[in-house]
Amino acid sequence: MSYKGLPDVVTTRRRNLLESAYFTEIARGLAVTGRHLIRNLFNTDKMPTVQYPDQKRDYGPRFRGRHRLTQREDGSPRCVACMMCSTVCPADCIEIIAGEHPDPTIEKYSKEFNIDLLRCVYCGLCEEACPCDAIRMDTGIYEIAAETREAFVVNKDFLLNNDKDGTL
Amino acid sequence: MAKLTIDGKEIEVPDGTRLFDACREARGGRDLPHFCYHPDLSIAGVCRLCQVEIEGMPKLTIACNTIVRDGMVVHTTSKRVNQAVTQVLEMHLINHPVDCPICDQAGECGLQDQYMDYGLYESEVEKTDKVLKKKAKVIGPHVILDQERCVLCARCTRFCEEVTGTGELGIYNRGDRAEIDVAPGVELDNNYSLNTVDICPVGALTSRDFRFQKRVWLLKSTSSVCNGCATGCNVRVDHEGGRIYRLKPRRNDEVNGPWMCDKGRMTYKDVHREDRLDRVLVRREGELQPISWAEGRQELLGAVKPGGVGYVLADPGRSLEELVLIQRLATELVGEEPMAGGVSDDGHDEGDDLLLSADRRPNRKALAWLDFAEKPAEALAGELSGASGVLLVFGGDPLAHQALADAASRMRVVYLGTHRTATAEAADVVVPLSMWAEKDALWVNKQGRIQRGQRAVLPPGDAREDWRVLVDLLQSIGHDPEVAGLPALRRLVAARLELEDENLLNRLPEGGYAPPRLADAPTGGR
Ligand code: SF4
Ligand code: SF4
Ligand code: SF4
Ligand code: SF4
Ligand code: FES
Repeated sequence: MSYKGLPDVVTTRRRNLLESAYFTEIARGLAVTGRHLIRNLFNTDKMPTVQYPDQKRDYGPRFRGRHRLTQREDGSPRCVACMMCSTVCPADCIEIIAGEHPDPTIEKYSKEFNIDLLRCVYCGLCEEACPCDAIRMDTGIYEIAAETREAFVVNKDFLLNNDKDGTL
Repeated sequence: MAKLTIDGKEIEVPDGTRLFDACREARGGRDLPHFCYHPDLSIAGVCRLCQVEIEGMPKLTIACNTIVRDGMVVHTTSKRVNQAVTQVLEMHLINHPVDCPICDQAGECGLQDQYMDYGLYESEVEKTDKVLKKKAKVIGPHVILDQERCVLCARCTRFCEEVTGTGELGIYNRGDRAEIDVAPGVELDNNYSLNTVDICPVGALTSRDFRFQKRVWLLKSTSSVCNGCATGCNVRVDHEGGRIYRLKPRRNDEVNGPWMCDKGRMTYKDVHREDRLDRVLVRREGELQPISWAEGRQELLGAVKPGGVGYVLADPGRSLEELVLIQRLATELVGEEPMAGGVSDDGHDEGDDLLLSADRRPNRKALAWLDFAEKPAEALAGELSGASGVLLVFGGDPLAHQALADAASRMRVVYLGTHRTATAEAADVVVPLSMWAEKDALWVNKQGRIQRGQRAVLPPGDAREDWRVLVDLLQSIGHDPEVAGLPALRRLVAARLELEDENLLNRLPEGGYAPPRLADAPTGGR
């Protein structure tokens, strides 16, 4: 099958002598690198490199960082365990176990709420799907480190007090 | 026959057909919007959603309460109709709490569906103006009521009056204070109460058992047959991740109509019970100890040898295929007159005149078809005391009868079953089997109807397809039935039952099949 306007067989041009001689091309490459090096040395303030972790890049307010669970005015979690987030999550990383809330006006709440941060792809669909504004990704935290895989599965308590630094 | 035109399409339906049903036919199976119409209940005509335009009539008419007339010209999608439906929906939603996030009905809710089809307007009612009613009121052992979500379709009250005749539910008060409730001191406590949950088009009546367990859109459904009693109601097993969450009735007008009983619905719990057998157990130093399947298989094959087996017992809770294989095995093991059969005293309880049978075994009819002699425990105990060697028990719990336990105490008991019963405790070798929802199997209900249940979930641990274990046993004693898969097995069963078509059981119709030749075979037991 051939596509309109495209040749069936792609032929490549033979390299000429200068190109196939190793050293001329190496020298050209080094010239590019050297040009950048010298330009950066004399304009350090314009250099794109950030001195992480002493320095951090500023992200916009819409940056999706680690999730948190929000609270009502009285401090109780807003989540009603409707499972919208866990349904929409493409990584299938939210696990919720619903329970009967002692307050009959609330009825349903999440007894357990776990997110596997290793599986999360930080797409933000969960916060978009939530009808109660109970899950948000506005912590700005993107440094997430732990020593075991299990430690990356964060629970409800953690998510409710999610203002800690990156260590899990 | 009446000839009428619906949405420009000419159709012919029998006289006396409801316009509602005629419309469904003309619309390619798509129902008119509705809450109150239910084919198995009387007509209430209260929700006003099924309005259609009939030419020659000045006003819109509800289709559920109209009988077709020859020459009718009906419109179901005209602007007038759509406008009316939207307005009626808006009226239904005036006081509706719209708490879909915490409502178990969400995902299978008539209000949600119809709002997406006909609503999609901006609500003009402030949340604070809505009439508040009782929420989460427990009205019976199985059902919980949310009055705010009710659309007053009166399906539940009609069900309790017309089907169960118990009349627990009623509509109290008037106007926008009208509400469904039980009278003070009354509970919605009949064996069919969960059907009100099925027919409630919204989340007003929900199941206490299923409450908050799972969102319905995550469930997968498998067709099966209830194993709770000999009626064999057709069910849908709703499951996810290897766990069953609920059973729902599947319509079969020859058996259960659209209903099933509450006892039957709760049988799924036995599948996930704590005391399920999931490993082969052998008695070592007086204790039952788990061993690997490979070792267990050797134990089983070693124990089941011709001449070594003194008696075979089969419970009518095993499937038709298994019983056919068990019978072969028994004939080979204990001779021409197989000393095999079940305990006829087991599996009886009180029934009712709606669906629930007094016979609580799903397959006793099959036992009768196969001429398995079921005997009372006393008589069996007498026969057992004359036997020696191995007592091979398939399912049930015969040794719960003291007389049988005493008689079997001199024998080596090999038990193939599903739960840690008294028989398992008394056995020397225990092999785990699958339960009904864990296998593709045939069941014969009390009418003599062969029905197929499909596999919904996998059996726990080392338990496997039961018929394969039986074929393995038959092969080991040199009587290979030569069945490599289910189709061959079903041909074998068809041959045993002398059905006219050997592949009939492989092509079982949706509603099952009752072989006429076997219709009058008596059921064993009491
Ligand atoms: S951000 Fe995306 S992947 Fe991560 S939990 Fe939310 S929905 Fe799932
Ligand atoms: S009954 Fe339907 S519309 Fe009403 S809250 Fe429940 S799911 Fe939502
Ligand atoms: S509770 Fe459900 S079935 Fe009963 S009237 Fe209300 S909406 Fe209809
Ligand atoms: S009537 Fe029998 S078969 Fe039907 S649901 Fe009830 S227990 Fe099950
Ligand atoms: S379905 Fe016809 S009025 Fe309710």
